Amino acid sequence: MWRRADLAVALLVGLAVAPGIAGGHEAPSLEDEFVKGVFSPNFVPPAAGSYELPAVKRVAGFLLRDSTGRSVSTERITAGKVAVVSFIYTACSERLGCPLASRALQDLQGRLKEEGLSHDVALLSISFDPGRDRPAQLAKYARVYGADPALWRFMTAPSTRVLGDMLESYGQDRAPVYDGRGRFTGRYSHVLKVFLVDRAGDIRNIYSAGFLVPELVVNDIKTVLSDYARR
Amino acid sequence: MIQRILLAAFLVFGLFGSAAADETCQSPFLPKVTGQEDYIYVWTLGVKGLGDGNDSMVTVDANPKSPFYGKMINRAPVPGRHEAHHAGFTDDRRYLWAGGLDTSQIFVFDVGSDPAKPKLVKTISTFVKDTGGMVGPHTFYALPGRMLISALSNAQDGSGRTGLAEYSNDGKFIRAIWMPKEAPYGYDVRVNVNLNRMLTSSFSGKKNYMRPFGELVKDGEAMKNFGGSVVVWDFHARKPLQVLSVPGAPLELRWALLPNHNYAFTATALTGQLVLIYQQEDGTWATKNIAEIGANLPVDISIAPDDSKIYVNSFGDGTLRVYDVTNPFEGKLIEQVKLGEMANMVSSSWDGKRLYATNSLLSQWDKPGDYWLKAYAWEDGKLVAKFTTDFNPVGRAHIMNLNSKAFGPRAARSAPSDRRTSTNVASR
Repeated sequence: MWRRADLAVALLVGLAVAPGIAGGHEAPSLEDEFVKGVFSPNFVPPAAGSYELPAVKRVAGFLLRDSTGRSVSTERITAGKVAVVSFIYTACSERLGCPLASRALQDLQGRLKEEGLSHDVALLSISFDPGRDRPAQLAKYARVYGADPALWRFMTAPSTRVLGDMLESYGQDRAPVYDGRGRFTGRYSHVLKVFLVDRAGDIRNIYSAGFLVPELVVNDIKTVLSDYARR
Repeated sequence: MIQRILLAAFLVFGLFGSAAADETCQSPFLPKVTGQEDYIYVWTLGVKGLGDGNDSMVTVDANPKSPFYGKMINRAPVPGRHEAHHAGFTDDRRYLWAGGLDTSQIFVFDVGSDPAKPKLVKTISTFVKDTGGMVGPHTFYALPGRMLISALSNAQDGSGRTGLAEYSNDGKFIRAIWMPKEAPYGYDVRVNVNLNRMLTSSFSGKKNYMRPFGELVKDGEAMKNFGGSVVVWDFHARKPLQVLSVPGAPLELRWALLPNHNYAFTATALTGQLVLIYQQEDGTWATKNIAEIGANLPVDISIAPDDSKIYVNSFGDGTLRVYDVTNPFEGKLIEQVKLGEMANMVSSSWDGKRLYATNSLLSQWDKPGDYWLKAYAWEDGKLVAKFTTDFNPVGRAHIMNLNSKAFGPRAARSAPSDRRTSTNVASR
């Protein structure tokens, strides 16, 4: 079962150290309950391979910059692998948004290693905020979450146009948030989505907050891999 | 379920009034309007000889501070009449999908670019072919990046044998899942994410729902062809787990919203029962009739955000009944409001303070009379009428979906940012 209490605690700890994340600024104890409550799946995910994950849509590959500043195509990173793709930005202050997605990917990274699946999977966190999330900032963020560069890459788009094309391809919304005077607040409104993408570039599942359960994602990855094994 | 928790958080923080409202029955994957709703989208049946005669998505202004409060402010027609019925938002609330039970057409409206003015941007005309013969797309339910659609019938024999279909938000067909043989009928579909459970209910096929009501009720054989089951599914696997016997066409399904409230409600149209569907200690599901609504054809139901009340609209006597379900095993009638000659949909705002109702059920079943949207609000423990929007000039008002300016472009200019709070997580 999903270790929800562990994750909630880890998430809170993560919030305290993550760069640019304002944690605990209001009614922390109630928020803690809230965060724990969100991670309350009360079910055993169905066994890997016992269900189908039909393709939702095909996504394109994009040329992005990784946290070392190199230009890399997403297709090259995900070639021959199942990819788990998350859109985040490092200044995201919504604890049920980006920090939650990054914590879930951190948990997933550990599980994939335990299960010997790290060579079959690529984790990708892509910034919503190419203007501020420069490679150095992403590298810092990656360290906070203990990302293993061989498995989990943080990337940013070279321009907002490329980012826009990528978001369109994935069907991910993003809207800048303005204050009452019409000034950009530095924040983006978006629905949290994490995408499971197979070797062909087909999205096979999409997770949002309530269903971002690493055990379930691992089973989905195994389900997709078992499709290949059967072929 | 996240929405339960957010709701609980709101209750604890005492933020109601300032930060909470939308239909309480929306998908948990959907961001909620958590303040005063600005707009009500009413999927409206066109009437031959009335204006252009087309079905249309009508916007009613629902903000008491607006000079147009209670008025129609926009009408987006689609070509033709299709038996306009239900509609639902995509997971990011940028699009509203609306279906026609007769033609099986699906109309996709952009509601993100200008929430006051939905714009028809796509028509899916291949539903029957895509699904291998399903007919009558009914419920449009947001899943991440996808729409889950329950159908009512099939093209082969027009009976109630049917299933579920999934499309990507782009309108690409993903898969069809037929209902199990022992429970072939379909109607509503709702998901509880924390339990990984999905419920489906059961109605009747096109042969019945497109037939004049007076004629149908006299046909004893035809009246046997209504569903009498609720199916419990493993949501993630999309596999049926249990078929519950709920005789008399259980229609709308409403999950309770608070943590550990592992139950849902439905109402049976033909037998007039308010029914509890609950998880037992061993994890299996059971049902209990908790109130006798009566032989008045109960149709839509809505749940209060704190799970304390179920609202039931009855088509037969045009009455809204309010049941106290604080003890979910025993429904107590606490309020009745005569809305008109007939009533169909009822929708509670997310904060539970406002209630909206419309009165068209099906074009062949409606009685002659006026068509309207009526708004009520709880004041001092009573439901008080706020406004009536006359639909006679444009058609027959069916389903309502609430929306806010906060979901439009550059939203925070006109609305506090906390209004775009998502139970699903709209990060800011």
